[in-house]
Amino acid sequence: MTVAGRAPRTATTGRAGPQIALLAGGLLLLAAIAVLSMGVGARHVPPAEVVRALFDHQGTDDQVIVRDIRAPRALLAIAVGAALAVAGALIQTLARNPLAEPGILGVTAGAGFAVTVGSALGTAGGQADELGFAIAGSVLAALLVAAVGQRSPLRLVLTGVALTAVLGGVAMGLRLMLPDVFDVYRFWSVGSLAGREQAPLALPLTAIAVSLLGALLLSRALNALTLGESVAQTLGAGVGRVRAAALVLITVLSGAATAVAGPILFVGLIVPHLVRRPAAGSVPWLILYTMVLGPILLLVADIGSRVLLPTGEVPVAIVTAFLGGPMLIWAVRRYGAGSL
Amino acid sequence: MSIRRTFGLVGAVSLALVLTGCGSSSDDGPAASGKEKTRVFAADNGKITIPADPKRVVATGYAVPVMIEADAPLVGISSWKRGEPMMTEEDLATYKKLPKVAGEQAAETNYEAVAEADPDLIVIGVPAPVLGDIDIKRLESIAPVVAIGPTVPSAWRELSHEQADAAGALEEFDAAKNTYGTKAAELAKKYKDVLPRLKLGHVGAYGDAAKGTFQREFNGSWGTNIAEDLGAKYYGKVKKPGPGSQSVSEYPSIEELPAAFREADVMTYSVNADGSVPKSVQYVLDSKLWKNLPAVKAGKAFPFRYTEAATYGEALKTLDAIDTSLAPLLNR
Repeated sequence: MTVAGRAPRTATTGRAGPQIALLAGGLLLLAAIAVLSMGVGARHVPPAEVVRALFDHQGTDDQVIVRDIRAPRALLAIAVGAALAVAGALIQTLARNPLAEPGILGVTAGAGFAVTVGSALGTAGGQADELGFAIAGSVLAALLVAAVGQRSPLRLVLTGVALTAVLGGVAMGLRLMLPDVFDVYRFWSVGSLAGREQAPLALPLTAIAVSLLGALLLSRALNALTLGESVAQTLGAGVGRVRAAALVLITVLSGAATAVAGPILFVGLIVPHLVRRPAAGSVPWLILYTMVLGPILLLVADIGSRVLLPTGEVPVAIVTAFLGGPMLIWAVRRYGAGSL
Repeated sequence: MSIRRTFGLVGAVSLALVLTGCGSSSDDGPAASGKEKTRVFAADNGKITIPADPKRVVATGYAVPVMIEADAPLVGISSWKRGEPMMTEEDLATYKKLPKVAGEQAAETNYEAVAEADPDLIVIGVPAPVLGDIDIKRLESIAPVVAIGPTVPSAWRELSHEQADAAGALEEFDAAKNTYGTKAAELAKKYKDVLPRLKLGHVGAYGDAAKGTFQREFNGSWGTNIAEDLGAKYYGKVKKPGPGSQSVSEYPSIEELPAAFREADVMTYSVNADGSVPKSVQYVLDSKLWKNLPAVKAGKAFPFRYTEAATYGEALKTLDAIDTSLAPLLNR
């Protein structure tokens, strides 16, 4: 039986109690890991000092580290983790393809291409410029893919893959011809949450917050879409409108996340699979769970990125790749290929 | 002559032999009986028989500015954009005029252009690990190849000497070296009551400073080694030393900034040749942790220009820049 086929049965079986308990447990775990992430790093900060930094700031070095570096970083991890995970859940639902992830819409390639072009033109010098180019690139790429592939999920995926290949190839050519551009790109291309505390993050974080709310509001309509277009239309869902709205949300979520943190590929693919079982075919629950597990996964990976090396840090995208691979294998072995 | 003076003389002669020979030996090779005298020169790629008095030299990488300054008989060079801001007008004109036989990267060597230049010696100034990007055998089919690449940043003094020696251009080199030595000694005297008593820390801009990290440079690194000639002392050492520049610099997290520089009396940091602040350094300067450092609070944070100097001519500019930056220390 398909995931879509289980949806109506779940909705009527009244299993909300355990699901709410699981969600509450996830939120508590998320809060605990967020607090932990503010105490762990290159410099150990005692829990009492973490609390003082947040509520009784005196401006000591430890408090500055917590308040000006780790707290914004934890907030960024929560936002980016939720954005990527929810974008992954939306694209997998929309494309009805368990291997779909946000990058499949060409968003990551578009952002990378724009950062490369910006560097080549010498206009992507600061963090704000880089952020602007990444956002513009991801939005333009997603618009192009949506315009060509809106009518069919398969066409959407194929267009995204094709555009990714084209943009990747052109950007690679530019980077090979211009070594300075390659230097800029190689740091951007490995997603990281470090050093973003000075970047102007208000706009992308607001866009992510609004889009997450939008995803929750849209999730009921998407629930109907999982039953198939004909059934959805019979149930009164505007298939075209729902699909367009979902595409906008995926674009904003993955575009903003990629722009602020660089490409972090595994979160959008793996998190929806890990929560699909407890969501029991309900898209609203799937969205809620991914919204909690995505940040947990990224926060844990980010803590790991700070402590794995004796000096310096490992970019978080590398840690998520190491965590994500075994987790995907575990999910397949635990729940079987059907869960995917 | 006293025993002490005799030992001094022997020591000076030995040092001169080490510096001028540095593994090379004046030795008439098989070709000597024919047309041209040769000698055996010890380089990164082995002991190479080269012309004793080369007439047509191709230079790449770090060897480019050295050869131009030393008035070596160049017939082709690689592109060396990073050194342009540190060249004198005359050297820059020479650099621009010379045929380019390679790009900025070792892999961009144009073998046909090298052959067309018809050199009798090729001097490659790239780090040993990068030599793999070059088809040495193909170059050797054109002319003898000596590879003399950078190791630790402060070794530019010895490496530039070897490069100039290989090209038979020590006369101009020694003149530049003496000028540098005189100027450095003057400045060391000027700062002798200030610098040796201070603990310094340096934030660099060289290499792979990823986001959220900074480059800390210790004694012997790019940003510090010339200031050391004035008596500056950069305290501390690398936590986990690696080869080359990794033995004198590291890239810790920005969170480690207070622990790294809390004891520093004076902070210095690398800036571009035009005085603008590189992105990786600006990130540090904008951090509250930087503003909390005792040296910064005391107004003792100074920018250094021309920190990538790798020749005596370039280093003269660095000396002037350091003198300008550190001058306020003399007024305190």
